[in-house]
Amino acid sequence: MNLNPFWSMSANTSRKQRSDGEDQSGHGEQRASPARLPFGKKQLPPIPKNAAPITKPVSTGTPAQSANGTHASYGPFYLEYSLLAEFTLVIKQKLPGIYVQPSYKSALVWFGVIFIRHGLYQDGVFKFTVYIPDNYPDGECPKLVFDIPVFHPLVDPVSGELDVRRAFTKWRRNHNHIWQVLMYARTIFYKINTTEPLNPEAAVLYEKDVQLFKSKVVDSVTLCNSHLFDQPKMDDPYAISFSPWNPAVHEEAKERMFTCKRRPEDHHKGMQVSGLSWVKPGSTQPFSKEDGPPQS
Amino acid sequence: MMASMVANGNRDGQSLVLKGVDPETCMIVFKNHWAQVVKILEKHDPVRSSSTLPSLSVINLSAGFSGGHRFGPVPGDEASAVQNYVEHMLFLLMEEDSGQAGAMGPILEFVVMENVMERLFVWSLRREFTDDMKLEQLKMYEMLVGQAQQPLLHHKPILRPLMMLLSSCSGTTAPQVEAELVLLLNLLCCVLAKDPSILELFFHTSEDQGATNFLIFSLLIPFIHREGTVGQQARDALLLIMSLSAENERVAKHIAENTYFCPVLATGLSGLYSSLPMKLEVPSEEWHCLHRDDWLQMPSLVQFLNSLEFCNAVIQVAHPDIRDQLVGYIYNGFLVPVLAPALHKLTLEEVMTTTAYLDLFLKTVSEPALLQTFLSFILLHQHESVHILDTLVSRINTPFQLGTVSLALFRTLIGLYCEDVMLQLILRYLIPCNHMMLSQRRVVGERDCYSVSTAKILALTPSCCSPDHSPPPLRQLDSILFSKGAETPNNTSATEENESFLEEDDGSGNSCTIGSEVYLDVSYLHYLYDARLSISRCIRACQVWSAPYDGENPPPEKYQPGVLEEPGLKSRQTQMAFKRVPLPPAPRPRPPPNTEPPSITQLELEWDDTYDACPMQTAEAPVERKPPQEPLAEPPKHIQEMRKTATMLVKGSYIEENEFQDDVKVYDLVAKTDAREVEHGKKKSNGSESEETQPGSAEVPLKNGLSLTPPTPVMADKNSLDTKGKGQTDCNSHLQNATHAESGDDLLAQYEELLRTLDTEAGKKYVKPEGELKKAVTTAREAEEEEEEEEMDFTAFSAETPEPEKLHSPFGVKFGGGSASRSQSAPFTGPFVSVLLSRLENMPSNSLHVNLLLTGILAQLAAYPQPLLRSFLLNTNLVFQPTVRSLYQVLAIVKNQIEEQAATRKDFPELIIAAQHWLLARETSFMATDTSGSRRSTHGEAGRMLKNSPTPKPKAISLDRTEVFATVLFTEFLKELAAIAQEHSILSYIPMEE
Repeated sequence: MNLNPFWSMSANTSRKQRSDGEDQSGHGEQRASPARLPFGKKQLPPIPKNAAPITKPVSTGTPAQSANGTHASYGPFYLEYSLLAEFTLVIKQKLPGIYVQPSYKSALVWFGVIFIRHGLYQDGVFKFTVYIPDNYPDGECPKLVFDIPVFHPLVDPVSGELDVRRAFTKWRRNHNHIWQVLMYARTIFYKINTTEPLNPEAAVLYEKDVQLFKSKVVDSVTLCNSHLFDQPKMDDPYAISFSPWNPAVHEEAKERMFTCKRRPEDHHKGMQVSGLSWVKPGSTQPFSKEDGPPQS
Repeated sequence: MMASMVANGNRDGQSLVLKGVDPETCMIVFKNHWAQVVKILEKHDPVRSSSTLPSLSVINLSAGFSGGHRFGPVPGDEASAVQNYVEHMLFLLMEEDSGQAGAMGPILEFVVMENVMERLFVWSLRREFTDDMKLEQLKMYEMLVGQAQQPLLHHKPILRPLMMLLSSCSGTTAPQVEAELVLLLNLLCCVLAKDPSILELFFHTSEDQGATNFLIFSLLIPFIHREGTVGQQARDALLLIMSLSAENERVAKHIAENTYFCPVLATGLSGLYSSLPMKLEVPSEEWHCLHRDDWLQMPSLVQFLNSLEFCNAVIQVAHPDIRDQLVGYIYNGFLVPVLAPALHKLTLEEVMTTTAYLDLFLKTVSEPALLQTFLSFILLHQHESVHILDTLVSRINTPFQLGTVSLALFRTLIGLYCEDVMLQLILRYLIPCNHMMLSQRRVVGERDCYSVSTAKILALTPSCCSPDHSPPPLRQLDSILFSKGAETPNNTSATEENESFLEEDDGSGNSCTIGSEVYLDVSYLHYLYDARLSISRCIRACQVWSAPYDGENPPPEKYQPGVLEEPGLKSRQTQMAFKRVPLPPAPRPRPPPNTEPPSITQLELEWDDTYDACPMQTAEAPVERKPPQEPLAEPPKHIQEMRKTATMLVKGSYIEENEFQDDVKVYDLVAKTDAREVEHGKKKSNGSESEETQPGSAEVPLKNGLSLTPPTPVMADKNSLDTKGKGQTDCNSHLQNATHAESGDDLLAQYEELLRTLDTEAGKKYVKPEGELKKAVTTAREAEEEEEEEEMDFTAFSAETPEPEKLHSPFGVKFGGGSASRSQSAPFTGPFVSVLLSRLENMPSNSLHVNLLLTGILAQLAAYPQPLLRSFLLNTNLVFQPTVRSLYQVLAIVKNQIEEQAATRKDFPELIIAAQHWLLARETSFMATDTSGSRRSTHGEAGRMLKNSPTPKPKAISLDRTEVFATVLFTEFLKELAAIAQEHSILSYIPMEE
């Protein structure tokens, strides 16, 4: 990596930090997350290019009966938890070089960054945003839009949107998960597919003139990386932003990250709840452990 | 008197004076005083003029008393002269600093050389050794030991007379002497704890006296169970020695082998237990366990708990040898001979009281080894061939306070996060995975990504309680803004898709904003929060468990029912106790009280047939019973007894229930039952080969009176029915099962049977329109299946498949398990689950407090992270065997009952509001008074409904309107369960960190 981008990602969920820490690639650091905005008027994030905003007056708060007979007032809980479940799946997958963070304002928007470590796009650091339809998981597949349109047959050269649908023709609940989309986003940089491209120029070049294609890719990677320290596209406290390495700020955080890896067990001394078991592993008989009563 | 003077005198002043005095002078004064004393001593006791005394054993001391006057009385002036000299001498000794490099100071050296202390002690004996004198001497030593500037106890000439004094006090009965003795012993133990090197000397000194005992320890033992300060000081002192024993093998060995410490401690518990009230006065129907405020009013219970806590503390600090021995004695000297029979007393009140005690004991005990002892007693001990656990479980279904108190006990048990408890209660029935369809095993570990189960649980919310219907003050829908802010970059396509999903769409074609601002049920947030806490706590606690119970480990194939239920695992304690210690001097297990069956005539008089389901006859007529083939087949007499007593009691208060028969509902029900009879009659008669059951006959329900719910599963157990079912005179198909159960070897089934009849008697105020309910459940299931996506692979279990099976066992859904459970290893989720569910099914007729306990227990169970348990309780997609009742099914039944109630009563909504207000007011009062938190988890819900609402105006509502309270509680319980299900979908999948 020629730029050594120590990027700072404002994060608040400890889970996310953990997934960062587990990955070796990024020396992330965490900045104190901004104070929670008070709930108030809906603040729309800046609209990405190309998006025709729909501004419909917000409907009244009367709960409506939804299709399955449950009360609509629980609907948001279902959505929120579905997304939380997706997010825990992402954490579990430990996708190499991929980091995501749900936005502060909506669980339906996730910010992400992907580090490409080898291949044609080596050293590329691509920021992206995932948009999840609000009827998730029954809608279409989520969209993934790169902040800067990467030169790639499957990435729209204008909007930066990745052609996700080719991999997920129909989004099937229970079978399709958001981590798969992220995984897919990573794969395209290692295995180049040129059929039905969103960027025909890239596709044609790849087929006809790989050298030129390669140089365009290098240009694209350089361009992306030169914009790395730009302000995030969206004004959201949890948007991922990079800043140049600043020892005064980052060194300590880096230290902490590496030392915290071996977390001491006495984290929960305060609310020590210890269960009991005298069952010998492999047995289903109570009190089957031969050794004496366990020491506390 | 010197001691009193010391006590009253201004010690600081004294020491100040002495500090200034030159040590030489002090020495001279001391010697002078001693010379005077010696003169008097020798005058009265010429024989013992020498400074070296023959060894004086404890036994000789008593002779000393009687021989006190051999040399004539000591004149009073001489006695007081000695007294005065000694006082001064002791002061000088006390204030002396140790010499260079820890050497003895000159006075101490002199005392040791001249054997001053011993000679003084003998002088006391020489005179009349009254209690007053003992008191004086004890105080003198207390002062010396407590205040001396240099260590004194290292010196035998000081230690030895002290020991003699102590042993001379051993038999004392004077309270003052006892108090002073214990105080001094306590002080000595403190010194010992600080300086264990003295320990050896204590032993050696004892040996010199011809006894090998550890005197200060032995002297303390009689005070172990004493109440008040003396007892407390003695126990504190003993605990100091106990912690010494942990490091000192010799002390440990001595205590374990040469003292009666452990037996005294354990059998003392038995003694104290016998002085507890046999029957507790129950303050209110609500009462279900002994709270601190309750037992503080009962001195005998306070005393027992003190001793129990002491045992707990000893086990915590003592050497493992002592710990193991004590635990063994508690098991064999208290639990088995005392508590087990007490749990099987004949009257409901006594048994209820014992159960409440046991619950309190379990809450008091904290040390794992002691808990293990109690738990292995509960889980494994068999009283008259019935496991205590089975008995306790069966009592959940008894009417009145016993059932409630039993519920509270189980609340405590499952709150221990103990794998062994959960294994015996539930998990072992789930491990074989027989309760679900074979292909469903892979679903066990699946997570509910999209809150499907949550939605289904919440969809059971009775219409009268839906958030839309609740009035503003009770259902404050804080406008929490759920802003979606999801702006998809390419909206046109998204909108097209969305249209098909969103009913609210106004057709303008550009809406994807549903719910962008939705008013949320704030109380639900609290439930989510509580669920999160509860599950995390549970996950953390269960990390010590031996297996994940995820349907793979333990492997289902390996642990089929037969394997799991193999008998013969003896309690570890029992083995250990027999191995290590002689049988304690405890009462042997008494013969079972009243083993003879009461005379039949008497029973017939007492037994009300109206409430009696037919299986009862086997219990009533033991004469007809074939002699049991195996010891295991011994019928659980205590349960029969209990049931009889219960029914006798029930009878009285249930007379009014007769009116119930006039109710239109009964006919309604009869009609419905008939309908079902017709529907299933053929199969049923096939299965049971009953002579009588005619399709369409109204006789069965009528004959059974109130036991309208067929109390036994008629399983497709044809073989056994064929062989065993014939020749029964009774007309009812129930009997076959009962007989089967009885003659078979399945104890479990038998008591399930009994339990069920109890249940039937126990007050079915509410009629269960089974046919309809089943229909409802089935439709729900069908609806579920419709909803399922094809990839769920539920095609194999579409509505058609289980249907024929259901026909075979019309009651299977209601009563899973039963007699065939063992022989055929038919799906059975265990007595605990089935008893809980059957009580839950009666929710509308249960008292509020029973329902609070029930829902509390189920919520706690649902918080367990083990996939087997979680999927069984919360996964509404899991397809169970037709005979297995799931929580969801029972909830659906309750919902239907409620809906029916609500439909028939016009004032229902009004009553609901009144009940909500009532619960709220109650909750607020709890928050104010009860900070113990013991009840928080079970009924925090009402309080969460609104915190900021205007002061509720409680309308009059009687607690007897159980159906109204149950409705409110049911609604809240659904939310609680839904929240738990939702949090599971996230929490159980994150590795425990954070």
